[in-house]
Amino acid sequence: MTDWKTRQNNDGGWAYDYSVRQARGGCSWTEPTVYVLLAQAAAERDGASFAGGVRFLSSIARSDGGFSPQPGVEESTWVTALVALLPEEALGAQQRHRAITWLKGVTGQESGWRYRFQQWRNGDPQEYPEGWPWFPGAAAWVTPTSMGILAFERALRRGGADSGLEDRVQSGKKFLLGRMCADGGWNHGSNRALGRDGDSYPETTGIALVALNGVGGPQIEKAKAAARRHLTTCRTAEGIAWLRMGLAAHGEKAESAVEPVCRTNMDTALMAMASAERNLATDARG
Amino acid sequence: MHADKHRSPLMTRRQVLGAGAAGLALTRCGRAPQVAARKFPVSSVSIVKASGYTMDVYDTVYRMIADHSLDVRGKRIVLKPNLVEYDANTAINTHPTIVHATFEAFRKLGAADVRIAEGPGHRRGTLDLADAAGYFSTVAKFEEQFTDLNTDAVAKRTIVEPVSKLKSLYLPHTVLDCDLLVSVAKMKTHHWAGATLSMKNLFGLVPGAVYGWPKNVLHWAGINESIVDLHHLFPKQFAVVDGIIGMEGNGPIQGTPKYAGVLVAGSDPAGVDATCCRVMGIDPKQISYLQMARGVENLGEGAFRQTGERIASVRTNFELVEEWKGIRLG
Repeated sequence: MTDWKTRQNNDGGWAYDYSVRQARGGCSWTEPTVYVLLAQAAAERDGASFAGGVRFLSSIARSDGGFSPQPGVEESTWVTALVALLPEEALGAQQRHRAITWLKGVTGQESGWRYRFQQWRNGDPQEYPEGWPWFPGAAAWVTPTSMGILAFERALRRGGADSGLEDRVQSGKKFLLGRMCADGGWNHGSNRALGRDGDSYPETTGIALVALNGVGGPQIEKAKAAARRHLTTCRTAEGIAWLRMGLAAHGEKAESAVEPVCRTNMDTALMAMASAERNLATDARG
Repeated sequence: MHADKHRSPLMTRRQVLGAGAAGLALTRCGRAPQVAARKFPVSSVSIVKASGYTMDVYDTVYRMIADHSLDVRGKRIVLKPNLVEYDANTAINTHPTIVHATFEAFRKLGAADVRIAEGPGHRRGTLDLADAAGYFSTVAKFEEQFTDLNTDAVAKRTIVEPVSKLKSLYLPHTVLDCDLLVSVAKMKTHHWAGATLSMKNLFGLVPGAVYGWPKNVLHWAGINESIVDLHHLFPKQFAVVDGIIGMEGNGPIQGTPKYAGVLVAGSDPAGVDATCCRVMGIDPKQISYLQMARGVENLGEGAFRQTGERIASVRTNFELVEEWKGIRLG
């Protein structure tokens, strides 16, 4: 059992790194803080520590409804989707609603009307399913799109039917399937460059599989095979944890022969989440 | 624009979007602003032969840096390698021996603090990446000497007179607070920029925890233009380029190793990169970011004072992908 309190900053949040970084006063970030809270929620919760983490996140909620990745950053970003994955009692209905509303208004730049119009004028009929960018104003990528899908699925489960959310979930899944690498997995979303296939990564393959929970068919079978393949060679905690969660989202319990070194708070939290019965996909689907 | 001439036939817009971020960037960078005619002081660039990543290279690197008479006593130095992929057996990453030799050289020259810092643009597990690339086994207590720039605390910096569409950038404290930033880059061809050397290496300063993986805001703002803006944000730089074994063809990741047996260094990154281009058989005047940073008239061979080896004696033509064949130096 990880003693999350000893790794926690005074502001209630957690830094990415806890070794060298903590000794040098590493600052709290939204992403590791959310994963630590999800790990605590999935395993054993330390009430005071958990409340401190929630307090940190509330302190960096922005007036537009989104969340910034770090207190010093003045823009809401993709981490808003992560915050929306927290348990009901942590975030509060109003803040969750505002976060989901913010996410509704964000898409990859390539699926915005301006870019589509430009492409249409250039005779490009290609369709650009709506995903989510890491940072507003950039293109959609696999990880933020996966987290957006999971956040919207969770909101649908809690709030009932909403065609706007459902459309974005379907579009996001279409985006992911369109960005699958030739080897069956995913990298960050650049599956071909200069006519050559890009290689997939373990962590992004696992993340995409989590977001594609409930989807079946030959593409998913190919993706699961890629995940199993990655699991035999992957040595990183982040990669192994996401691969296990990805396969678990499709009903497959998988283990790695490797006992990875957990170098960061993210690593430790993700490994704890992977080991728990509950995971992001089952939580999102209810 | 010379480089535009070679960029335009690269891909159709449809192919570009299929390629993802880097492709998206190309649709945005059809302009290469002319640098107003301006003279730059003649800078000194060292070219030194090095046959391999052996113990000899420590002394070679020390002498090469010492030749530039930098006063680094009591200063905080940040070394920025090019750390990209989980593989110690390719030419993707700056070789750990060169990073360590540079680290030791600056310590020997009296620097108060030397840190190695990097924020990889593709893979998130930076420490795992450094371990797999051989940095832990080469640099003693590596973790204590290293900062992950992707997750370091950040501050916002306004870009004065931006060349790209960027108005500001969040940047890590570790690099904002240092006295000298040393780009310890790899000599590689690059399928979107022509060549990636010490200036392009600065993309790794941009924090992934703010902008994501890859750092796609830079692509949308224009790859070449963003390289120039980052270069201007850090006026106190030194550059060391590892060209012992570089990468040719479809770099910076999918290319093939190319032995060039050379190290190039200097206080003027544009000068170092222009010299590296010539070593690689690439015309630096055809590289957009060098044009924008210096102006074509300041990229001639005579614009830099080359010390050590003559370019002709170390020139090793790097293979270029079809789309970049036109940048070959005559």
